[in-house]
Amino acid sequence: MSFLLQSIFNGLLAGCIYALFAMGLTLIYGVLNFVNFAHGELIMWGAYFLYLFMGTPFGFPLPIALIPALFFTILLGIGMDRFAFKPIRQANRLTLLIAALGLSFLLRNGAQLFWGAELRTYGFEIKRGWRILNMSITINQMAIIITTLICIVIVYLLFHRSKLGKSMRAVSDNLELARVSGINTKKAIQFAWILSSALACVGGILLALDTNLQPGMGLINLVKAFAATLLGGVGNLWGALLGGIIIGLAENLGVLVISTGYKDAIAFGIMVILLLLRPPVLYGTQE
Amino acid sequence: MNVDLFLHLWIMILIYIIFAMSLNLEVGYTGLFNFGHVAFFGVGAYTSALLTLHQVPFELALVAALIVAGFSGFLLSIPSLKLRGDYFGIATLGFGEIIRMVFQNEVWLTKGPMGLPGIPKPVLFSYRFATLPQYLLLTIGFTILTFLVLRFVTRSPMGRVFKAIREDEVSTAALGKNIFHFKIKSFVIGSVFAGLAGTLWGHYTTFISPGDFTLLETILVLLIVVLGGKGTEWGPIWGAIVLIFFQESLRFLKLPAEWTRYLAPLQQMIFGSLLIFLMIYRPEGLIRGKGGR
Repeated sequence: MSFLLQSIFNGLLAGCIYALFAMGLTLIYGVLNFVNFAHGELIMWGAYFLYLFMGTPFGFPLPIALIPALFFTILLGIGMDRFAFKPIRQANRLTLLIAALGLSFLLRNGAQLFWGAELRTYGFEIKRGWRILNMSITINQMAIIITTLICIVIVYLLFHRSKLGKSMRAVSDNLELARVSGINTKKAIQFAWILSSALACVGGILLALDTNLQPGMGLINLVKAFAATLLGGVGNLWGALLGGIIIGLAENLGVLVISTGYKDAIAFGIMVILLLLRPPVLYGTQE
Repeated sequence: MNVDLFLHLWIMILIYIIFAMSLNLEVGYTGLFNFGHVAFFGVGAYTSALLTLHQVPFELALVAALIVAGFSGFLLSIPSLKLRGDYFGIATLGFGEIIRMVFQNEVWLTKGPMGLPGIPKPVLFSYRFATLPQYLLLTIGFTILTFLVLRFVTRSPMGRVFKAIREDEVSTAALGKNIFHFKIKSFVIGSVFAGLAGTLWGHYTTFISPGDFTLLETILVLLIVVLGGKGTEWGPIWGAIVLIFFQESLRFLKLPAEWTRYLAPLQQMIFGSLLIFLMIYRPEGLIRGKGGR
């Protein structure tokens, strides 16, 4: 029984992280109406930036290293938009997607060039967790949950209580209409990139704390974030949150039944079932 | 230049021409953003490798590989073709990863990460294609066959529907065409020929492992199609010649061993950047399609 409880807890934990990825992905989808294939690489670089600033030349402690890591991930996100996506915003979708895929590949191999393909960790020693309800809960895991909650509150406040958030929601609702109503759409788009990159960075760091760092970590998490996005309804921020948690739970409960080698395939399996069951929801997403 | 190296280069180019032509049917002619095409290349390679390793004649193994690749394409296309545009792209991207996981995890069948060594050279009608010139002949034969079949397909009424779907789905549906069925056809034909390329590749290298079927292959073949000119008959051919020449020749430069750790990611970064630059400055590629976008 405690085994099951532990699995549920681990699932919620992973779900929190996926939710952060999915929220970032869906934010960009909302304003620009395309799936950012390089979102996984924002996640990966976010985690590696922290690694960089905690590593030898700098040696900052985690809370301080977080600041430049966030800064550089956001810079990367804005740079992505400025140099790869903005020049082809009016082009057809295939062009945009192929560019995004190329960008994802470029960034992934960039990380491999600097850090190699091997698994890395932040090098914290593993501490014994507290025992609550027969479950083992470590400080890292508490940190993951608390950080996710903080992120969600911040996103909520920005989105529903600030003028910028309101303009972003307007842009994601209808770009043209927002523009003629005098909303600064450029600023809203830029803000979406900032928020999306920041969420990716935090999520990537949390994931790396929970597991490890590897240049290939972006791709598979992009697929998971996408599955979560589909589950929650595309462009729906809070749906993405819920979808992420469901994916996390399904993964950790799923491995009780099937081989752990397929853990990463579970999100994809859910996606396929979902597509077979309720396709109408997914039609007409392209305007 | 060494003769063997020259032959090797052309065999690789021809295999990638087949692979790229099959993707071109989907991406270039039908407008399907298939980002997991390597999956069918892998399925073809594994199917025929496993069968021939169990003493099944090559002719049968080849047919089986094409059928299995086509059938897995069919199975995947049913859920994913209900998606449009980017969603289809990401679903296929995921599928490419899942297939690799199957190769990696089903150790009883595929020997997992150990891979399959000693894949026999093909024997067609009791003629054994063992040496490099013989293998080159075999790949030339299959490349011409693929070229002709795909040209026939794209010029047929079905091919015209493919192009119509690429240009405007709604109008094509309004003309009474079942878009879903035509997309499945395009996807299955593409998968079959990807399976052919995979089979030829597996029997050429004689060793396959899950690590051979990664996103790199997908990117490479997509880059070939995009560079050459998607939706054109000769685009994939020129694209493959340029890119495979670049890739394989790097492999034979006498570079210090400690460079290789940096060389592979650098080369792949070039591929990634090339995709972005092409999309920004010349999305139509080297050859411009007639009447297409």
